[in-house]
Amino acid sequence: MSEKNKKSRNKVFETNLAALINIIVIVVILISGAVYILLMPHEKVAQDENRVLTEMPKFTLKKYFKGDFTGGIADHFDDTIHNRTKIKKFIASTITPLKGRKYGDENEGAELYGNPVKAPKPITVTTKPPQSNRFTTTLSLAEGQTEPTVVTTKPPVSAEEPAAEGGEISNSILVVNKRGIPLYGGGLGRELEYASFVDEYKIQLPNVNVWSMVIPTPCSMYLPSNYKSLSADEKIDIFSISDALQKAVPVDVYHALLNHKSEEIYARTDHHWLALGAFYAAQEFANLAHLPFNSLSAYEELHLHDYLGTYYSYTQSSSLLDNPEEFIYYKPKNEVTVTQYDTSFNDPTDVALLVPPDNLTPSGYYYVFGMDNRIAHVHTNVKNGRRLIIFKDSYGNALLPFLTYSFEDIYLCDIRYFDLNAASFAQQVGATDILFAMCTFSAVGDNRLCIRNNLYK
Amino acid sequence: MVFSRLFFIYIFLPVCLITYYFARGTKAKNAVLLIFSMLFYAWGEPVYILLLILSAGVNYSAGLLIGRFGSSREGKLSAAAAVSFDILMLVIFKYSGFIVENFNHLLNISLPVPDIKLPIGISFYTFQTISYILDCLWETVRPQKSFRKFLLYISFFPQLIAGPIVRYSTIEDEIENRKADLPDIASGFNRMILGLAKKVIIADQLSIVAERLLGDISHASLSAAWIGATVYAMQVYFDFSGYSDIAIGLGRIFGFHFDENFKHPFMCKDITEFWQRWHISLGTFFKDYLLYIPIFGKRRKYASLMLVWLCTGIWHGAGWNFVIWGLYFGIFIMIETLIGKKRMKRIPLIIRHIYNKIVIIIGFGIFYFEDLDELGSFFKALVPFTSNGAISLSDRITLVNNMYLVIFAVILCFPLLSGIKYISEKLTVSSTVSSAAATFISAVLLLLTSAMLVEQTTHPFLYFRF
Repeated sequence: MSEKNKKSRNKVFETNLAALINIIVIVVILISGAVYILLMPHEKVAQDENRVLTEMPKFTLKKYFKGDFTGGIADHFDDTIHNRTKIKKFIASTITPLKGRKYGDENEGAELYGNPVKAPKPITVTTKPPQSNRFTTTLSLAEGQTEPTVVTTKPPVSAEEPAAEGGEISNSILVVNKRGIPLYGGGLGRELEYASFVDEYKIQLPNVNVWSMVIPTPCSMYLPSNYKSLSADEKIDIFSISDALQKAVPVDVYHALLNHKSEEIYARTDHHWLALGAFYAAQEFANLAHLPFNSLSAYEELHLHDYLGTYYSYTQSSSLLDNPEEFIYYKPKNEVTVTQYDTSFNDPTDVALLVPPDNLTPSGYYYVFGMDNRIAHVHTNVKNGRRLIIFKDSYGNALLPFLTYSFEDIYLCDIRYFDLNAASFAQQVGATDILFAMCTFSAVGDNRLCIRNNLYK
Repeated sequence: MVFSRLFFIYIFLPVCLITYYFARGTKAKNAVLLIFSMLFYAWGEPVYILLLILSAGVNYSAGLLIGRFGSSREGKLSAAAAVSFDILMLVIFKYSGFIVENFNHLLNISLPVPDIKLPIGISFYTFQTISYILDCLWETVRPQKSFRKFLLYISFFPQLIAGPIVRYSTIEDEIENRKADLPDIASGFNRMILGLAKKVIIADQLSIVAERLLGDISHASLSAAWIGATVYAMQVYFDFSGYSDIAIGLGRIFGFHFDENFKHPFMCKDITEFWQRWHISLGTFFKDYLLYIPIFGKRRKYASLMLVWLCTGIWHGAGWNFVIWGLYFGIFIMIETLIGKKRMKRIPLIIRHIYNKIVIIIGFGIFYFEDLDELGSFFKALVPFTSNGAISLSDRITLVNNMYLVIFAVILCFPLLSGIKYISEKLTVSSTVSSAAATFISAVLLLLTSAMLVEQTTHPFLYFRF
């Protein structure tokens, strides 16, 4: 064999060997991946995303022909992969920061997540226009007049005018100074709808005190001045609501919280306020409603260390991942019994008022105050004849412990998960007070429609 | 099913590969590929698979008739019937809603708008069947006598849902007899992984930036419009060329050799060249099957040219922006044709690059905005000194947050691999070292892509959970 042929054969051998090694490496990764996906235990819940992961679909012909069955199988395997949280954290801490720099200071600079704040497209109102926002025409006949004087009063913003479409307010989150801040899109008239919906409760339940607590988000407290242009002003909408309420009574928690903004009143890594913020808000409410209220010394302080909330889950920001927070909440020392019902007020179960830290994972949407999709009835040892219903979004959960010294009975109902007629329910439980407690995003977002719909179920 | 899913990469593909390589002989291997192709399509489209089989059946039969009657009247009638059937399928399943909507608008009537779900890949496989029929008629290829082989050609899963539009002539021999040697399989794996990485690591990340910059176009600043459209152009390039890489790579693993579909399009010197480098299989389809059909007479080549570009636009989607997009590029190509190649070459290169990049970027803006009001806002935002300013704070943060990603994407638009190959040859790097490097890079990219696919399963739906 000639030297040239030998060299050529050696080269072919080398090329084939290199290719074989290449194939083996890739095939080993593919097979290992298959084993990992198929045989390792599948995760069931993503606490950091507050959702149950995709379950293996059950076969039905309808599902099959729609492609939901086969698609569901692929979704199940993709979604429930073992150690998904750890893999996501790896991406957040090592890959995501490679995309760019923080805006401004390298350590405390800004990162922006989600889509830009969109001004919703105007649509025609399809719900019944609230009474308080209708044009009102009054006729008066002065002495000596033969023709009446007609006075038409135009409301500040008429519901007959095109209203903004509900739905997504904004997905924008600014991470700055190691804190997630939701960027508020603005009420655009929907805040007045909220006010009229709340007023309808007072109209239907004239003997019940109806309170409205619209809670500002960290956007009002911690948005640095140089980022103000990214967000609408919550304060304007909160006080528009206060002004527009004609029957219900507004609770000004904006200033109550602003006075304590240097304290830990909002989570940095989660889209909720912290228990301390709820305490100051509850105090404001109790003072306004002439209710007894206890200081924090009447509570046992509980700590959840290294808490990492939903902002991390949403943004995968390493600024949040590297800076978890201390989640502090307060357990009242008085005797309370808590019964949990389903959303139709059936199926009672005795539960604890608060989930102890030992039973919680330090990441994800906080379950400290229980789930949203339930009705909770708290019976306290207070004897003042006051019975409260809290119609709330998830912000309202944190208020519950701080009102256990103020009311005999408290019913905690989430406006989104409520299958009863709200007025009938209030009469059934003998409510003396109804408190609407929700953040601005709910008050001007789709959630506001639940307030009204719950009156007509 | 789509390629960029963990389920496809780690379950479907390994099972398919094992079965394929255990099968002995081309017949058995073809059977395996056909079964997996059917499974692949039926996974997402359990009903529309019947449409795919019907389309294959009609075109297969027409092919046989053409084979029998040649280019006689009967043969031409068979071809016309098959092509009409293919176009009718596209019209019904892709354009009927758009057509009725426009009729309603134009005549001020309210016919019910058909709400037909678009069958995945119909635009690709229909064009494959059309090319097959015309090739049979023009005797470029011999009609396939086996329905199973023909069905495999139409439904072969690597190129079924996102192209390239593979001509029958490309795989005519390989469908009968093929051999994949070790370097072929290795390069197939590497190419597939490169495609996955382009899609998941680059395109999907760029899509977030593009959406942030262009998402609220009525308030977009000058920078948001220009940079957003640039980022979107790159997103589409990495997404689409990534899919083509996956198709080409998978094809190679199974012994098929598809033609290249993208050749670094942003390196082009003019718009004509851009379209010679971008989605090549579509461009050559129209060139070979439509441009030279003398619909408007031989002297009216510009009318034919505009028809081609109208069809190119409509092929991409049922919307007026796609029509505008197609005609927009058609106009520039017509202008370049009028100027002539020689005179175009005399224009300084830098001017040509600036010109074509501006045209391309605006073109992708047109492609992005399906809503014509939004498209109008986009055009407005492109003009300096409009009310939304040069750059907003949110744009600045977005750009700084993603600056390395965008720069990296720009660099990857250049033919880096050819450069690396050239340098390694110059430096006489041994093939063992370069193969080891390729293996290592592929393994890392595969693992990274997989991790990022896990990350993409996040669905917090944040504001629904207050």
